[in-house]
Amino acid sequence: MSAQKDCEFLVKRARELVSDDPCAAKAWLITARTLYPTDFNIQYEMYIIERNAERTASAGRLLYDMFLNFPDQPIVWREISVITAALRSDSQDKHTQFLRGLFETLPGRVQCEMLLKATEQCFNTLEKAEMLLLLLKRFPESVVQHGVNLGETLLEAEASENVETPVNCFRKLFVCDVLPLVINNMDMRLPASLMQKYMLKAAEFYIGYVTRGPSPDVQIQGSQEGGTLKSPTVSRGSQRYVIDGLSEKSSVVAEPWERLLDVLAVVGARCEWQGDKGQRNYADMLQRVKELCRYLPSLEGDTRSRCCSQVVICAALVLFRSAFFYVSAVQPALFQGVNALSSGPWILVEDLSSVYNDVELERGALKHAHKKRKLADGREKTMSSDDEEGLGKNRRHILVNKNEMPGWSETLESFRTARESWDLLHSHDSLETEFKKICATWKTDSWLWFRIFLTDMIIYQGQYRKALSSLHQMAAVQQPQPGQQSPSGQASLEHHRALIQQASCHYALGEYRMACEKLLDVVSGLIPPNQEPVKTLEDQTRVKTKTRKGNDLRLLPCTSKSVLPFCLQLMLACFKLRAFTDNRDDLSLGHVVVLLQYDWPQGEMLFLKAVDKICQQGSFQYENFFNYVTNIDMLEEFAYLRTPEGGRIQLELLPNQGMLIKNPSPALGVELNTLLLQGVQTMDRYPRPLLPQSPSCLPHLPSLPASRLVIPPILIWACHFTSRTPHSDTRNHQRSEGGFPSGHGEAGVTLWRELAQCASQILHK
Amino acid sequence: MGDIRQSLLPRDVLSAAKELLYHLDIYICNMVQSGRQPPQVDSKTLELVEEFILHAPKDRNTPARRMNALQELQLLEIMCSCFQEQSRDAVRQLMFSALFNLQGNQADESRMGLLGKLVSMAIAVGRVPILECAATWLQRTHRVYCVRLAQVLVDDYCSMVPGSVPTLQNIHSASPRFCCQFITAVTTLYDLTSEELTPPLELLQMIVSWIQDDPHLVLITFLNSPISGSQPLSSLDITPLGGLVRWCIKAPLAYRRDKKQALTNGSTDTDPEAGPLFSALHLNVLQVFMLLPSILNEKGLFGRLALLQMESLATLTSDLSRLLDQSDKHTHTSSADTQALSQLALDRLAQALQVAMASGALLCSREDLRAICSRLPHNNLLQLVLSGPVMYYNNIHTPPLAFSPHAAHSPIASHTALPTHPALPTHPAHTSHTPLATHPSSHPQYPAQPFMTGMPFPFRPSH
Repeated sequence: MSAQKDCEFLVKRARELVSDDPCAAKAWLITARTLYPTDFNIQYEMYIIERNAERTASAGRLLYDMFLNFPDQPIVWREISVITAALRSDSQDKHTQFLRGLFETLPGRVQCEMLLKATEQCFNTLEKAEMLLLLLKRFPESVVQHGVNLGETLLEAEASENVETPVNCFRKLFVCDVLPLVINNMDMRLPASLMQKYMLKAAEFYIGYVTRGPSPDVQIQGSQEGGTLKSPTVSRGSQRYVIDGLSEKSSVVAEPWERLLDVLAVVGARCEWQGDKGQRNYADMLQRVKELCRYLPSLEGDTRSRCCSQVVICAALVLFRSAFFYVSAVQPALFQGVNALSSGPWILVEDLSSVYNDVELERGALKHAHKKRKLADGREKTMSSDDEEGLGKNRRHILVNKNEMPGWSETLESFRTARESWDLLHSHDSLETEFKKICATWKTDSWLWFRIFLTDMIIYQGQYRKALSSLHQMAAVQQPQPGQQSPSGQASLEHHRALIQQASCHYALGEYRMACEKLLDVVSGLIPPNQEPVKTLEDQTRVKTKTRKGNDLRLLPCTSKSVLPFCLQLMLACFKLRAFTDNRDDLSLGHVVVLLQYDWPQGEMLFLKAVDKICQQGSFQYENFFNYVTNIDMLEEFAYLRTPEGGRIQLELLPNQGMLIKNPSPALGVELNTLLLQGVQTMDRYPRPLLPQSPSCLPHLPSLPASRLVIPPILIWACHFTSRTPHSDTRNHQRSEGGFPSGHGEAGVTLWRELAQCASQILHK
Repeated sequence: MGDIRQSLLPRDVLSAAKELLYHLDIYICNMVQSGRQPPQVDSKTLELVEEFILHAPKDRNTPARRMNALQELQLLEIMCSCFQEQSRDAVRQLMFSALFNLQGNQADESRMGLLGKLVSMAIAVGRVPILECAATWLQRTHRVYCVRLAQVLVDDYCSMVPGSVPTLQNIHSASPRFCCQFITAVTTLYDLTSEELTPPLELLQMIVSWIQDDPHLVLITFLNSPISGSQPLSSLDITPLGGLVRWCIKAPLAYRRDKKQALTNGSTDTDPEAGPLFSALHLNVLQVFMLLPSILNEKGLFGRLALLQMESLATLTSDLSRLLDQSDKHTHTSSADTQALSQLALDRLAQALQVAMASGALLCSREDLRAICSRLPHNNLLQLVLSGPVMYYNNIHTPPLAFSPHAAHSPIASHTALPTHPALPTHPAHTSHTPLATHPSSHPQYPAQPFMTGMPFPFRPSH
């Protein structure tokens, strides 16, 4: 007891003195230590004085003594764990830095031992790994002994902890910290299979990291240059990304693609890959494996399988990287850290800029295309064989507005490179098998972004049927969530991206009704733009497109102002073919006339063709005429048709003429007919207010140019199909439609939706 | 060399001295080159030095030649450059000895005068070779003269010319050996027995900063000396440790006395900072002690060479006891303040004794210590130190395995537990008490040590 009391007395005196006279306190403790050299508390007190005064050298010396003399003291281990925690931490505060400095004063042998022992005492896998990593980084010779084990431990932990993404703390440590140490250590001989396994683990991580989605509770806004991360937590106010279990700093992976390339270069060198003089960049890599592929059939055994691995790994990395760049341009909102503001989403659709061209010319081309596509659809199961044809003959152009998409050439280049890689990976059975193995391991089926690429790729290849089924699945995933609709309608537009592509595919397949049905879904969700439609888009590409034959694709910005014109064009394209058949179809023809008002006089040629057709028929019946035709040129032309000079064409242009006669209520049509047609017939050039409109029904119209009619095309479509159905409600529908506001107020949109529903019900019967 | 006297006589004092220095240089060079053993300057030459450089009267017939101040300064300059230019250590040493080794004659006074001026000048202009030679001189010369030289330097640099302290401060980097010897001399000079013998504050600050910068400085002379017992009698201690220990222990009382005097003299408090300085110095001294075991072991001197002498410690404790008595008498009422300072002095004594003993600087038993400390008033720590640590097996702080006085991990531990002085075999403090436990495996090298148990012990502090 006495010795303990002595020690307590000595330590107590030192504590009493330390604030006023630290030197005296230390003198007491030095004395105490010579009296009781094996007493822990005395030495600990000495250490504490030095540590609190942050005197690195002397504290380090004392810690060293304690570590040697009291290896079993829990307090020493607590202290060591505080220090090792400081080593692992990102913090730059003074005390943390002191603790790190303290560790640095210890002899390397002690550091090594300390880390090893601290590691042993760690029960948390992650901490243990971080600790061991400190050891490996400081003492490269320990990599041989612990490197692979640590890697395997991390991979096992990842498997046993059921983490749902490869971007997790274990994998991050493995890929970014352990792997470089292991593969760069020339003292170790690792089997090629293990190297390749690690390579794929790294690739999966980096790809997963780059393509990680935006955090669910943060709306993407302002992003910084260079793919800086954004935070999933709004509360912390920072736009950062944190991998669960890691600190913010260690969650950052700089230049993931470059790091991946580094790993690949080392692995390639160590696996003795062909023609590998350090992988310079991804483009070179694809070229190299392409060449390598030519020799593949002549190879056998190990050489062949090694070559196979090289080709598959390299081509797959190029594929995923290029596909990522393409999709990040087309659907930036999918990714965290991709600048979503630079350009909105884009949709790959059929190019319709030739919609105003002559029908005959186009019909021929389209029919030809149909045949081709039927052929292609028949062989859809084996995509690779189809591709060869696609590569050779079916090379298609993708049109882009270069002003709206600044990085268009890179985007298209990425798309092309990705397709080439894909083709390469499917050029041999053995390659395909290996690639499919990778895909299965990585569950690439569940990568939405990759599906977007694949869909666009098969659209490009003209495999519309297959594209449609893929799009259906995607549309289900991308169903707009309630409350997620942003004021601009941008969110809903993105959700309609798949629908627009579906419409485009149906159109390409000649399924106009389905195309229009999809358009209905799209347009009913659109909020009409307030600006003039962009004509520049058309103007720029018109010259070129005239020579093309409806076989081109276009990257369409996914904005209301671009989507709406596209919808109108697609509808026009659908009706056009129908309207100008040999069979008489006045309704279609009327719709074409209505649709041509948009972007007038762009379709003047088609309008004249329609007028010719009416002249040939000698009569024309289109009851919606006055509801939707407001273009003065067209009105004049129709007025002229009734004159003797125009050929006294029989025009039935009033809504429900028959019904109106029976109906005593003064529907708008009566006055309009009398007032307006007479007016037009007398060739008086009345200003617009005289055009058909009811003050109660068309409140906006006077202030809007005719080309801004937004909803009517849908109505037309509804009419078109409902009118053919001998259903008792049909007439009522038409009546209500006739009197329906063509503006786009809140009530109006709702009613249109109802109408559209009825229409689709009818359709499905 | 005696034959040159005739040629020196007609010359004026300065050129004669110069000429003699020149010949002396050649003479010693030749002597060193010829390898004559032992290299010794003959008495004729020494006489010439006394006559033409120190200007001691040769006999009654010839009147003493004197130099004026300017000539003396010129001579010093010549000597400075003479030592500076001589590249061979041995030659320099022999030359310095020929000039300044005390001969026990009349010339010694002027010898000391010239030496003081030369060393002071060497410090001022940074002549390292001279400082090195002076360091050796301080090792070989009787302490009385060493103290005189120190006094000259302190007067020159700390008292006479204000602001010249930094110049002196630099000597620790210029010549650590000289610096070490200077500290030893200064601590011998100022023994704190009177106000005059209390070190000036500037000096104290300087010494503290030297040792803080480099604790090894204190041991330089010791580290550089051969182990042979060639240390001349009554020369300075080989380390300043004894002097420093004395300073630190007496300081609380000495400075209290100063303060009291200052107060009675009505002057202002001149040294408010002395307390912390001594506290730091005391810690530094203990730290230097802690360096010793490995050094002593390395030299094979552990337990064989006492850096602290029992006799001087005995003097110290009796001084201390007297001072404490005095202070009690003076104050009559032992105020809390007085009491605290007395206890501080005793704490430091206890600490110094314990650490010195543990580090092998002091070779004695605890019983010896009890003898010299018997007259001191009560102090808890001192009693603990005098009785020694309590030892038994089941120390709750430490695992049993680690607890062994022979545990290899701490050399201090083993030697603390077993102070081994060949001349002074250790004894258990109270042989009347039957030891409850004995060390199971006595190391053959050490005498069996019965452990003291938690027995009631009169010296045990009442904490």
